[in-house]
Amino acid sequence: MRKLLVYGTMAVTVAAAGTVLAADTASSGVTAIVGGKLLTVSHGTIEDGVLIMQDGRISAVGTAAEVKVPKGAQVVDAKGMTVYPGLIDPESNFGLTEISADSMTNDLVERSDEIMPHMHVADAFHSETELIPVARLNGVTNAVVAPASEDSIPGQDIFIQLYGSRAQMMLATDVALAMNYGAEQRRRGGREGGGRATYPSTRMGLITELRQAFLDTQDYIAKRDAAAKKDDKAFKRDLKFEALIPYLKGERPVVIGVYESYDVETIMKVAQEFHLKVILNHVTHTQDVLNEIAAYKVPVIVGSIYDAPRANERYDAVYSLPAELAKRGVKIAISSADGGGPVSSHSARNLPYSAGFAVGYGLPYDEALKAITLNVAEMFGFGDKLGSLDTGKMANVVIANGDPLDVRTDVKQVYIQGVAVPMVSRQTQLRDEYSR
Amino acid sequence: MGLRYLCHPPAFVRMLPFFLVPMFAGFARAQAAAPPSDIVIKGATVMTASHGTIEHGSVWVHAGRIAGVGATVSAPGSATVVDATGLWLTPGIIDPHSHSALDSDVNEATSPVTPSMHMIDAFDNRDADLYRALAGGVTTELLLHGSANMIGGQAVVIKNKFGLDRDAMLFPNAPGSIKFASGENPKRVYGSRDQLPSTRMGNFEVMRMAFEDAKHYMAEWDAYNAKVQKGDKDAVPPKRDLKLEALADVLRGKLYVQIHCYRADEFLTEEAIAKEYGYKIRAFHHALEMYKVAPQIAADGTAIATFTDWWGFKDEARDAIPWNAVMSMRKGVRVALKSDSDDHIRRLNAEAGKMVHYGGATEDEAIRMITLNPAWIIGVDDRVGSIDVGKDADLVLWNHDPLSTYAHAMKVYIDGDLFFDASLPGWGTTHFSGVMHDGGGFGSDDEEDGQ
Repeated sequence: MRKLLVYGTMAVTVAAAGTVLAADTASSGVTAIVGGKLLTVSHGTIEDGVLIMQDGRISAVGTAAEVKVPKGAQVVDAKGMTVYPGLIDPESNFGLTEISADSMTNDLVERSDEIMPHMHVADAFHSETELIPVARLNGVTNAVVAPASEDSIPGQDIFIQLYGSRAQMMLATDVALAMNYGAEQRRRGGREGGGRATYPSTRMGLITELRQAFLDTQDYIAKRDAAAKKDDKAFKRDLKFEALIPYLKGERPVVIGVYESYDVETIMKVAQEFHLKVILNHVTHTQDVLNEIAAYKVPVIVGSIYDAPRANERYDAVYSLPAELAKRGVKIAISSADGGGPVSSHSARNLPYSAGFAVGYGLPYDEALKAITLNVAEMFGFGDKLGSLDTGKMANVVIANGDPLDVRTDVKQVYIQGVAVPMVSRQTQLRDEYSR
Repeated sequence: MGLRYLCHPPAFVRMLPFFLVPMFAGFARAQAAAPPSDIVIKGATVMTASHGTIEHGSVWVHAGRIAGVGATVSAPGSATVVDATGLWLTPGIIDPHSHSALDSDVNEATSPVTPSMHMIDAFDNRDADLYRALAGGVTTELLLHGSANMIGGQAVVIKNKFGLDRDAMLFPNAPGSIKFASGENPKRVYGSRDQLPSTRMGNFEVMRMAFEDAKHYMAEWDAYNAKVQKGDKDAVPPKRDLKLEALADVLRGKLYVQIHCYRADEFLTEEAIAKEYGYKIRAFHHALEMYKVAPQIAADGTAIATFTDWWGFKDEARDAIPWNAVMSMRKGVRVALKSDSDDHIRRLNAEAGKMVHYGGATEDEAIRMITLNPAWIIGVDDRVGSIDVGKDADLVLWNHDPLSTYAHAMKVYIDGDLFFDASLPGWGTTHFSGVMHDGGGFGSDDEEDGQ
């Protein structure tokens, strides 16, 4: 752990040193990115565009003819470059893990119980993690941080930006409730569980326990309201039930991680029974219920599209899912999750390639870019602040030397709230040290 | 791990293909037809891996071998012509580090020295992971023992002729390779049982002790053979020992040594031990810190088979940087990319594309990292790995630049025979029918080491 803290401090020191100038000019002044090809996401592509950033926001965007560069603006020449909104990862574990195999660096999920809505990712978020600068260098500027998936309800997510102080980074806490349903949540015992199964060890158990938790919360709400009316000071607050209230009232979304067709149908019944505001997640083995999923009219985070198909399925059964869902009118997002293996946000820098891969298998390009920008922002309540190059939005902007979804493209500069973020990570430092 | 056993089809399911044969009889006959003896793939962007890219190039395949390559070729008029206008052609992709199709038998994690294990004994030629790799353009794989043991087992080299019998999938006359490991995995596996080794000191000493045993064994045989040569009829041969025979083969230079190794200091220690006992290291696998000591290792002639951008999954992967491959290459190390994953093996072409981004590899250099260089690591670069006259016609046609995110394989040929065609309905396989097996899991060293 000590090593970890040292590295963290080092990165921040470097970042701060490199930022001073850019931060001063950008935050107090005006930056104009001129000559680039702007992928606005919301209103098409603008060749030879001009984008003005002021006070951390986009103050103008359009063609060179439409937008005048204000006097005194710092001008960034983006000729031959592509300019697009910062990418948003809809599911990450930034700040909850450092070295996957080192359990002391992991705060991924509280496994002591299945129903843990009162676990707040905000409490564990380690903003100095090395994973963040690494992802940022490839244009990821925002992310949802969620607990790992071993519980039915592992806790509540945060929505972050990948730069700034810890407080600045957490744009919103408790933005969504993480939920999961399927084989993985069963308490089957085995090596990790000490060899003995405990309740709930079957899907029947999982569903029963979930419904009971929601019913108990409804009961709690009634009792709490009654106590409030009587001004009953003796009423004891229950943090677990309190945590569930906004979600039972449909005020905030629940993100349900589920993989199989029949599991989707089962958990959606529960969700509808309690009027939850659902975002479906994963759905990688649901090829036979895609029309049903479309009929739910809920947004879907698809993937990892690298999840393996079942034996005897065609090799592209999962690769083509984003295209198949988008075709049916589903609003989709794509996450950085890799297919199996060391699943963590170490590979979040590959987020744009997942979207590009989906394009290779039939997803229209514009939909793919939306699936890692505007759609994610909208799903998590940031649709008016992030996800596209529009006047008034946070100036989270990326300049790259080509197509953002192509593996060969090099990101040249990332702006977060108008600040030119130093293009430095521990990895670039190692590279530079051994390049001398 | 239990799930994998559960998923493994029982015998009656394995036999299903035999019952299904009559249903697919017509299809099966078509599959059995010999490939045309002459094929011309015409009008493609031909990335040769050995001598640059030919725009609007053609490749002539004769009797399973490449007979011509260039702007034009002089194939007979009877040749089957494949119009590849607007497509890209590369050599078949070669993965020098895979554990596919070995089900859960990747690691004999019961002793840190198990050189007489042969991966061929675990190879399941109907595993769906082979099919998915084929659909990603992979035509040759080195199937390795896992990394639980300092000295693991002997690899099998396959041509990915999915649908053929097990033995028909073996790469003919490929040299033998043996897997070594180092670092965290062996010390964790045995350390967790309070056995030797539990430290890096223990790791390396286990190797030295094994080679001392092997030297002693070789000396016993040398003494016996000397007696026989002198006509001593009473000479008693020493007992044949499979483990020591295998180690002796390492010392005799008969096996290519492939070492799972992450840290810079460990490359140097491994090279020192190799010199001490007189064998050569063919390649370091993973090799995430090679960029720190590349000139020293380049001098030893050892190659690397590395990940593109995995990092931080364990402590010894902490200093991994995505520029490792290109930096090491620029300092003279022969660099291959590999999967060590049933996922990444399906898209090694795009992994190679990342090398353009991370360090500015040329397209040629990037393609070589997944073709000719891994072929060298396996020791089959005289047969495969580039589009050159005389080499096996292992070829992949792509719908897009294979180094981009968007490419997928349209047709995959092995020895001039079409094994995958994405335009076909169903799986796109031309030789496989029946039921695939699902090995499940991820197929990485880390997963398979008994963790």
